[in-house]
Amino acid sequence: MAVFGFAVLLPVIMTFAYSFTEWNGYGTMVFVGIDNYVKAANDMLFRDSFVHVLIYIAITIVLEVVVGLVLAGLVSVRRRGSLWFRVAIFTPVMLPMVVVAVLWAFVYNNDFGLLNAALQSMGLGDLQRVWLGDPATALLAVSVVSGWVYAGFYMTIFYAAFNQVPTEVIEAARLDGANEWQLFRRIKVPMIRNAITVALLLCITGGFQGFDLFYVMTNGGPYGATEIPTTYLVKSVFTFQNVGYGSAMAVVLTAVVVALGLVFTRVNREKPEDVRS
Amino acid sequence: MSLTEPKAPSSQRASGSKHHAGRKTPLRIPDVLFTGALAVIAVVFFFPMLWMVFSSFKSNSAIFATPFALPTEIDFGRWVEAFEIGHIGQYALNSIIVTGASVLGILLLGAAAAFAFSRYRFRGRNLLMGLLALGLLLPLQSYFIAQSTMFTQLAITDTRWALIIPYTAMGLPLAVYLLKVYLDAVPNELFEAARIDGASDLRVFGSIALPLLRPGLATVAIFSALSSWNEFLLALLYIQDDALKTIPTGLLAFSSRYVTDYGLLFSALSIVTLPMIVIYIVFNKQIVEGITAGSVK
Repeated sequence: MAVFGFAVLLPVIMTFAYSFTEWNGYGTMVFVGIDNYVKAANDMLFRDSFVHVLIYIAITIVLEVVVGLVLAGLVSVRRRGSLWFRVAIFTPVMLPMVVVAVLWAFVYNNDFGLLNAALQSMGLGDLQRVWLGDPATALLAVSVVSGWVYAGFYMTIFYAAFNQVPTEVIEAARLDGANEWQLFRRIKVPMIRNAITVALLLCITGGFQGFDLFYVMTNGGPYGATEIPTTYLVKSVFTFQNVGYGSAMAVVLTAVVVALGLVFTRVNREKPEDVRS
Repeated sequence: MSLTEPKAPSSQRASGSKHHAGRKTPLRIPDVLFTGALAVIAVVFFFPMLWMVFSSFKSNSAIFATPFALPTEIDFGRWVEAFEIGHIGQYALNSIIVTGASVLGILLLGAAAAFAFSRYRFRGRNLLMGLLALGLLLPLQSYFIAQSTMFTQLAITDTRWALIIPYTAMGLPLAVYLLKVYLDAVPNELFEAARIDGASDLRVFGSIALPLLRPGLATVAIFSALSSWNEFLLALLYIQDDALKTIPTGLLAFSSRYVTDYGLLFSALSIVTLPMIVIYIVFNKQIVEGITAGSVK
């Protein structure tokens, strides 16, 4: 407990305190009230970073949660022989994000990258891009990598949840003539709503905390197109020595994440009452 | 899947519709096609990793000219070179020390705290539990700024402690929470009986609680080991000394030093990746359980 208090709780309080000051990390600390928060509210870069992270979260919900759900649905139709598949798809979750980021920076590389080479060989040379260097595609490119890593993770969660759907329910629906798609859409998915809510919570709060991929692959560039709150505040604090301002942004970010977490826990707790079909 | 089947009228519910009587057997996709589809998805997923390993055996010019070709020869010379000049051995050792110490700390402190929360009613218990629950929600961003100035003032940045302490602290809330769930399920009579037999608190903890917690401890160990092993942001901020870097930051330093020697970089990536895949294949059941339990809470 003491370790936790010392290394997490105390810094949380101190970060909160810093957020009301102007400080470069070693000089004198000046109390400035809520100036930093006013500044954050008017800071276009900070606002943009929130827009970017929201887009990123929206894309990753599709690429991770929806794709994971569909994959789990596919796998649960034929359970036999699916182990190797589940093992394969889950593998990227194991790898350090930095390794993934460096590898995918190569995949997107415009000189020898796998993606451009694949497009070329399929006769789609026109679609070739400098994926990470083009503000129009960089954010999408980073989101796809995140999808590559976590689709298997969510698939595993959903697969476990599908396996807990009572077989009698599925058999009954089958006798009534439901096909596999109807089973999936009308029986299995509604019955694992709790797992889906948890997955959404993880995906959203995780998205707000994303850092590794962005830092290694683009570090906010090109032209700030992939700047997200975390990379922006790390820059303000550790590159520009704006400890106070960075702390204020950190507090805002924390408030968003904790609020979302609380909302989701509440929603989940209410779940049992309003389970419909 | 359903593309070949006419869509059922939307008013029908899956239950109790007689209109389906004519097609009682649901449409089955041929097994071969199905397995084939899964195989294609798996290959697409795996392709970047295969490409990484293939490219590690190629020269720069071969990587540029024939990105899809299999390497002409399998020469582990590049791997050895990458391992040596990339200090990967050193980074791996650092990662092992930091991860090992953090996991040990999390297991010991987490088990003790879970035992206390589960078995004793003490003043401030609820407050502490509340703080712990908060710890489950708090993102890293809420404390790393002040933590870094604190560590600078305490002069523990650029030591392994700068990573071991926060990793342990970050892993504790979830560990305590999960282990407490395990302990709460243990019937109280077991502990009462031991106490009547004259066992001390410490003895009860060591001889009864810990052995019962074994599966829980394994789960906690797996996910805390993986998150410490892969952690990047704090490692980046607190460790500047190259000799103390862990694998993620070390690899990043390596990749900025040899930006254009792609074969060497691919070798380094392969060296880091393959052992993890091997470990994963061997322990996949435990690891999948550990990671999913760890994040679903």
